[in-house]
Amino acid sequence: MSSSRLNLTKTRPYLYLVPSLALLSVFTYFPILYSTYLSFFRQNVFTLEPVFDWFANYAAVFEEPVFKIVVRNTVVYALGTIPITMFLALLMAILLNEQLGWIRDIYRVACFYPTMIPMAAAGMLAVWLFNPGIGLINHYLKMFGVPTIEWLYDMKWALPAIMLTAIWKNFGYFMLIYLAGLQNIPGELYESASIEGCGFWSRLRYITLPLLGPTTVFVVIQGIITSFQVFDLVYVMTQGGPADRTNVFVYYIYQNAFRFWDFGQASALTVMFVIVLLILVFILTRFMERRVHYEV
Amino acid sequence: MKRKSILSMALLLVVLFSAFPVNAQLVRLTYYYPVGVAGPLARVMNEYVEEFNALHPNIEVVPVYSGDYDPTMQKVQTAVRGGNPPDVFIVEISELPTLLAMNAIEPLDEFVTDEFLSDFFPAFLENGYSDGHIWGIPFQRSTPVFYWNKAHFEEAGLDPEKPPTTWDELREYAEKLTVRDPQTGEVIRWGVTISGGWNDWLFQCFVRQNGSKLIDYQERTAVFNSPEAVEALEFWVDLTQNLKVAPPHSTWASTPPDFVAGRTSMLYHSTGVLTFIMDSAQFDFGVGFLPGKVSYGAEVGGGNLFIGKGIPQERKEAAWKFIEFLTTPEMAARWSRDSGYVATRKSAYEVPEMVEYTNENPEYLVARDQLQYAAGKMMSPAFQRVREILKTALDEATAGRTTPKAALDQAQTQINRLLGQWLQQ
Repeated sequence: MSSSRLNLTKTRPYLYLVPSLALLSVFTYFPILYSTYLSFFRQNVFTLEPVFDWFANYAAVFEEPVFKIVVRNTVVYALGTIPITMFLALLMAILLNEQLGWIRDIYRVACFYPTMIPMAAAGMLAVWLFNPGIGLINHYLKMFGVPTIEWLYDMKWALPAIMLTAIWKNFGYFMLIYLAGLQNIPGELYESASIEGCGFWSRLRYITLPLLGPTTVFVVIQGIITSFQVFDLVYVMTQGGPADRTNVFVYYIYQNAFRFWDFGQASALTVMFVIVLLILVFILTRFMERRVHYEV
Repeated sequence: MKRKSILSMALLLVVLFSAFPVNAQLVRLTYYYPVGVAGPLARVMNEYVEEFNALHPNIEVVPVYSGDYDPTMQKVQTAVRGGNPPDVFIVEISELPTLLAMNAIEPLDEFVTDEFLSDFFPAFLENGYSDGHIWGIPFQRSTPVFYWNKAHFEEAGLDPEKPPTTWDELREYAEKLTVRDPQTGEVIRWGVTISGGWNDWLFQCFVRQNGSKLIDYQERTAVFNSPEAVEALEFWVDLTQNLKVAPPHSTWASTPPDFVAGRTSMLYHSTGVLTFIMDSAQFDFGVGFLPGKVSYGAEVGGGNLFIGKGIPQERKEAAWKFIEFLTTPEMAARWSRDSGYVATRKSAYEVPEMVEYTNENPEYLVARDQLQYAAGKMMSPAFQRVREILKTALDEATAGRTTPKAALDQAQTQINRLLGQWLQQ
């Protein structure tokens, strides 16, 4: 009797995991393994029946001149969007955590609403806003004497335009997470700090920021994953153009699989993508865990 | 609890079984179709299908609106891989070699007659043939045409009734039509816009006008860096970089609104946007042939009808009946009026409603008349990749990042590597 009870307490956690494990296996783990398997086969419009070909797909990836541009775009996109999104999110969260009455609620809604717009709709909206001739953005820039920027038509400006859209679209979500983090910080800490004569800045420096550590780890990892996975905005706004200057990793995988119908190469790209992401997340968690205070 | 689940199981079974045809005689066809303009044209298409179903009580066509050309092709490809191809579908005409490589379509030789085919415009039929068989029947077809703003022509002292007919005239007119800010020198109005997005298609037209072509599908040759092609790209670079009378880049969807907003005076675009421009332009505009070089020239575009590989004979026959229904002269004329596409058959222009319609709107005849100078569209296996390679070369050159010769040489190297197998055969 007691031993079976013991067994049950041991196995119960695993039983609870079964539903999510089943879903993850079917929709995540199996596809990863299957892509890895496919990546060793040549399979495209010329060879419809897969032919085993060792690492030929991986070698072919590096032969494409576009691949270098794609990697560069993806890195620029991630480095450009993550810090700005985080900074904006934190700033707004701190401001909107202050006692400002009903104005606060209005601002919270205003900051969060882009997050609720579907990504494709946001992309379409941005296409019109960035239109060089009749778009609102150039209209306002002109008031300040800025010369016409061709935005999505310009090789230099197309990626920044997508990045700006992504920042606008995403910072509200991270703001919400920071707000939740802020509200977990016990009020007594601030109370005793003010009794000791700490001002706003030292409270921020010595209480708020350190205690937001765990939230920041989450935000960084989440930010990296979302920015590496950007696809919808590119698909809607530029289709990777002009001249691949907005072609990013996931869009490139999509092109290879569903437009070029080259499953071997698309699988090889996917495997490379998963490995890079895993390494990044692993390093980050290792590196940041050491510096984070989980307890007050 | 138990009773409830039994009840819901029963309901589920009812739903499942009702999905199968009750009448064993009924032939059910799945039909994938893309349309450029989502809402209204999808409704028009459903109307046609309903009429067909009403005329054929033993056939039921189930229309599936499948988005743009690319998503449609993806749906067809996944369905074929899943072993369940759609019975009838429309995809972009240059996909023929890919469809063949995937073993996705049936030849239509057993159904067509010489009489049936002879009524179609020859340029439209070209992309339907491969290896001596016919695989696709023209349905929604277009060609690029030239739009010009008559008000701007008058302003610039040009005859508003006379569009440029040669590249040299085009360059000259574009210079006259471009308006710059007197202080900053910044362009306020472009002389001409060669629309991006499908600029590879427009570029093929320029190469044709210069007396050459990029890919000969039947002969299996691909020459992207011929002197004629380089000269055509040099002309583009001249307009965009040297003279700065044309924008170096744009997107397919944004340039018709630009033209309507008066931001550009002349526009290269598909005949498919004629209805949009007619409905929205607040000024007089003209529609003409693409200006020529050695001769006039254009490549056709649009979508063909195909029958999926390996479907049972009775469904194949029913599918052909549906194709016949959609391509009768009357239907071709009606679809042309509903959509703005060029009617695919000569006799469609003799249908009374069409005669009346084109008398009122002679602009719609320009694309048809240009067909005598038009040829089939560039196609090859892995066509989408070929397109991307060409588009990158064009974009790099018009941005002034590289010379036309170097850009096209680079494209040629990539194409040779990509199509090596196919070119050698």
